[in-house]
Amino acid sequence: MDAHPAPANLVQALRLRLPSWLPAALAVAVGYYLAARLGFALTLKPHPISTLWPPNALLAAALLLAQTRSWWWLLLAALPAHLLAELQSGVPTAMVLGWYVSNCGEALIGAAIVRAFVQGPLRLDSLRNAAIFLLGTALAAPLVSSFVDAALVHLIGWGDAAYWELVRARFFSNVLAELTIVPLIVTWAAVATSTPHETRPARYAESAALFTGLLLVCVLVFDLPHREAHASPAVYYAPLPFLLWAAALGPAASASALALMTIATIWGAVHGLGPFAGRTPQDTAREMQLFLTAATVPMLLLSVALAERSRVEREAREQRRQLTHLSRVAMLGELSGGIAHQLNQPLTAILSNAQAAQHYLANKNADPALLSEILADIVAADKRAGDVIEGLRALFKRGEAHFETLDPNRLVREVLALAQGDLATRGIEVSMRLQPNLPEVRADRVQLEQVLLNLVVNAAEAMRACPPKDRLLIVQSTATAGRIHVNVIDRGSGFKVSPEQLFEAFYTTKPQGLGLGLSISKSIVTAHGGRLRATTRRGGGAAFLVTLPALPKQ
Amino acid sequence: MGMQQGCVTVVDDDALVLRSLGRLLESRGFAVQTFSSPQEFLERGERAVRGCILMDLSMPGLNGLELQQALAEAKDSRPVVFISGRGSVPSSVEAMKAGAMDFLTKPLDEEKLIGAVQAALAKDRVAQEKRAQHASITGRLATLTLRERQVLGRVVEGKLNKQIAAELGTAEKTIKVHRARMMRKMQVDSLAELVRAWTLTQPQQI
Repeated sequence: MDAHPAPANLVQALRLRLPSWLPAALAVAVGYYLAARLGFALTLKPHPISTLWPPNALLAAALLLAQTRSWWWLLLAALPAHLLAELQSGVPTAMVLGWYVSNCGEALIGAAIVRAFVQGPLRLDSLRNAAIFLLGTALAAPLVSSFVDAALVHLIGWGDAAYWELVRARFFSNVLAELTIVPLIVTWAAVATSTPHETRPARYAESAALFTGLLLVCVLVFDLPHREAHASPAVYYAPLPFLLWAAALGPAASASALALMTIATIWGAVHGLGPFAGRTPQDTAREMQLFLTAATVPMLLLSVALAERSRVEREAREQRRQLTHLSRVAMLGELSGGIAHQLNQPLTAILSNAQAAQHYLANKNADPALLSEILADIVAADKRAGDVIEGLRALFKRGEAHFETLDPNRLVREVLALAQGDLATRGIEVSMRLQPNLPEVRADRVQLEQVLLNLVVNAAEAMRACPPKDRLLIVQSTATAGRIHVNVIDRGSGFKVSPEQLFEAFYTTKPQGLGLGLSISKSIVTAHGGRLRATTRRGGGAAFLVTLPALPKQ
Repeated sequence: MGMQQGCVTVVDDDALVLRSLGRLLESRGFAVQTFSSPQEFLERGERAVRGCILMDLSMPGLNGLELQQALAEAKDSRPVVFISGRGSVPSSVEAMKAGAMDFLTKPLDEEKLIGAVQAALAKDRVAQEKRAQHASITGRLATLTLRERQVLGRVVEGKLNKQIAAELGTAEKTIKVHRARMMRKMQVDSLAELVRAWTLTQPQQI
């Protein structure tokens, strides 16, 4: 067996020896060639310089996503693709090699500037990153390379264009390419490597509608013959609603929409269609480049700003959720003694019942009726222990908020059942004064249970020093027009600070308290559209009133 | 086993636990009474019943310490065995300070429970015997005349008839007659027996 490794192992062994940059290098070679073909397709004849020259930008995007140590391999991988694409077009070999150098230079400068400020692969998920990309990759790199490029053209003596004319044409072409191609690749790479969020069908439908609409508008505006010599400026704004829509959907959608519009515009002009046709190639190219650059930069920034804001909000929400869970677990920790007691009760009943049955059976004086009573009690006790664990499981879980229709009275009963062990060991009597047939509420069960449990535990703690006959916890539920109220009342020491201070985070009177319970409870109730208020009672003790909007009765 | 052992009174506010403990003790041959709350026990429980009390330490309304106090006020001297769901040191210390016989944690070990209950019942039996003796001696003391009681007091102090006669200002022969009648009424045959019976009536000895 060992002498003949299985083919699968062999493949695996071979794959392990392959350098990690190889797949990326192959992708760059293929991509570079295709991008060059696209560039030729978008070239205004007989102008030797494309309106949009994508290979450089593709190379820059590859470097921005790759690790710095594999950069040289990726640049090298572009050489055969470059030679293959350029030599077909009848350009002198010296010029082809010169362009290879200036293309690599542009990609390297653009990627190096970004890498100096942003660690790891570039992600267009913050305004800072977007600004660094715009200044470094889309502005500085094309600026430097277009001078080099124009100088090379002059040195080799290919074509008869003026030097400054060459610099300007080359610069705008490269800027537009960087602006169009790099965000497209970088954002889709981020989408592909991100943990898959559940994408709702509605989202796909929305994207389909957006891109169909945008394509229609672009074809109508940019790819049909224009009768007038100069189109009305209004037509240039026709794609704007779709671009804004795309920006709202995220940087990847925005970059895709901008690329679609750019290609549609240039394709139209190349075929003598649309508002940019009918001028000299130089003018057409410049007008288009200015128009497309002016549209792309703000839209890209807008989409990144929106994405950043929603990401920050999502992170804040996640943090709040974790804090809520943490305080819930801390509270359950406080309750653990009581919960152990609560589990001990049914366990005691099960054990003692079973042992009694064993003795009756051993003494041969087992009355079948008694035995069946014993078994019924064992079943009941077991169910009760199961209920305790079931109630705990939900509270320990850390899940997304899940809103459902709930009966407030049932919620109160469940919470008091959970706290019952703790209340019993503290010698606290509970008086439930629940108004029957309360309207229901729409709420997250776990979060509301957390609020009520927190109030009950606080009340119990406040009555620690009370004489036993005063250890009474009252939980009241009532309804008024459109609202339900749950009042948790104790006869404890009350509170000596203002109610505002009471709800502040990290205010606590308990030696091991986190001081988060009331502050989190308040934010939960507020998030449910309700209010949480605290009052001290004249006879001593405190009352905490939870008010929630009620669902209309059916 | 059975009634002559005394009755085990179980108090627990958890109906399932209460029933299961009652059944377990009954299956082991004990007579059992059950109460579902300390209040019910204080209001309806008979104080004259002999035996022991097995109760949960933490029940709403009254805790172990308070129930102990209430029982003392009601002149109920039955030994108490506490059971608790949480075997924390502070609560057990508190219970033992309150005069508990024993402190068991749930879920209960059957043999420990039976052992504790038997020990409590035995303690109650001894106390009951002592009380019965005390009652009978007190009854006998009540039949003595003033003079006989004066003689008894001096006899147990170890005084001779001659000394007692001198102290009480009568003849030694008269003292002898009082003394013989007193010994008969107290149903004792020797000075040693008399001293023991008399000591039992002294409050600090109970």
